[in-house]
Amino acid sequence: MGIGPSTKETTLHNFRDPLLDVVSSDEDLDLMGILIVGTPQDQEDKILVGTRAAVWAEGMRADGVIISADGWGNSDVDFTNTIEQLGKREIPVVGIHFTGTAAQFVVTNPYMDTIVDMNKNPEGVETNVVGENAVDSMDARKAAAMLKLKMRKK
Amino acid sequence: MSGESKELRRLVIKAYHVKEAVWGSENRVSEDGIMTVDRGSVQKYREKESDYIADISVRIIRPEEREQYTNTIMDVIPISAKVLGNIGDGITHTLTGVYVILTGVDTEGKQTHEFGSSEGMLSQQMKFGRAGTPGERDMILAFDVTMKKGMGQIRAGVTAAHRACDQFVQEYREQLKKFHGNRCTERHEFYDVVRPGKKKVLIIKQVAGQGAMYDMHLFAKEPSGVEGGRSIIDMGNMPVLVTPNEYRDGILRSMQ
Repeated sequence: MGIGPSTKETTLHNFRDPLLDVVSSDEDLDLMGILIVGTPQDQEDKILVGTRAAVWAEGMRADGVIISADGWGNSDVDFTNTIEQLGKREIPVVGIHFTGTAAQFVVTNPYMDTIVDMNKNPEGVETNVVGENAVDSMDARKAAAMLKLKMRKK
Repeated sequence: MSGESKELRRLVIKAYHVKEAVWGSENRVSEDGIMTVDRGSVQKYREKESDYIADISVRIIRPEEREQYTNTIMDVIPISAKVLGNIGDGITHTLTGVYVILTGVDTEGKQTHEFGSSEGMLSQQMKFGRAGTPGERDMILAFDVTMKKGMGQIRAGVTAAHRACDQFVQEYREQLKKFHGNRCTERHEFYDVVRPGKKKVLIIKQVAGQGAMYDMHLFAKEPSGVEGGRSIIDMGNMPVLVTPNEYRDGILRSMQ
């Protein structure tokens, strides 16, 4: 399991990323930056790098985090751990993930109550069509709105 | 506490629209929106990567020509060049109206993908007009790499394909850098800003790093480039912070 064509964020996607556009242009938010974290193969490494990402967020005194992943399956271990590590540090977090019907989480934790599903396909599956399920500005706006609510409740 | 927002640095992206791409005797692009592609030029990039690559071909695909077979689409790449400053500040020139797709297969017919692949009729295998794909009316330069047997499934082979494609794109970047600043068709200004008193938010992007075709490069010399980039795998997949302007200036190259 990994990254399929329909969710894959191409180099062009990163050049004009809707998530960055939405968050950076929102005048109620002070975007501190974008933390790029890899997805190692080894289980122990997965936990390590995700935890380091959460430590960064804590050290930066983040009021909230949006975490997005364009792969699913193997990389869900990374995704759920990083969310848990952020949650334990009492940092409100919203996830963006391809779930659909094909990629339901095997393991969850109490901090995963706000996940935006980037799926756009009626069957909820990986369609092998480039760009079909990748994050768009609607997904990004949902995530930003959810995060604002979650930060307000805190 | 709330105060005035503070601008840290400015990035200007100037876009130049390409109206037409045609075959020619050299790889050229001009301010008047005409691009020429030399069909034979890509062979020199194959020779440089002969350990991994058996053949390279390039195709110009007009919007009405999408009913054609494509190998799996490894990446979609904008043609952008740094004119002034570093990635994340200064001036970048980029082309609109034409985008490069990198496609790959090996000599045994194995597509360069693992978790689903997108080979087939181009019109069916891509959702056009998304952030990561060309628009309905855009032209496509398809840089199609045939790997040596098995080389499309290992990291070195996939990286070689990206490198060859990047060298091809670099020919256009060198010309794009010299375009007159006032003759752009679009101009966008972006600022890295601090908004004191507002909720401090961090975006975490979880990217590929498992190896083989799963990799992500950062810090190339040119926007959306390969040359000079560092692999997230080689950096131990550890978190790396980039500014919003660095990110939107093409600091990432999707290798997967």
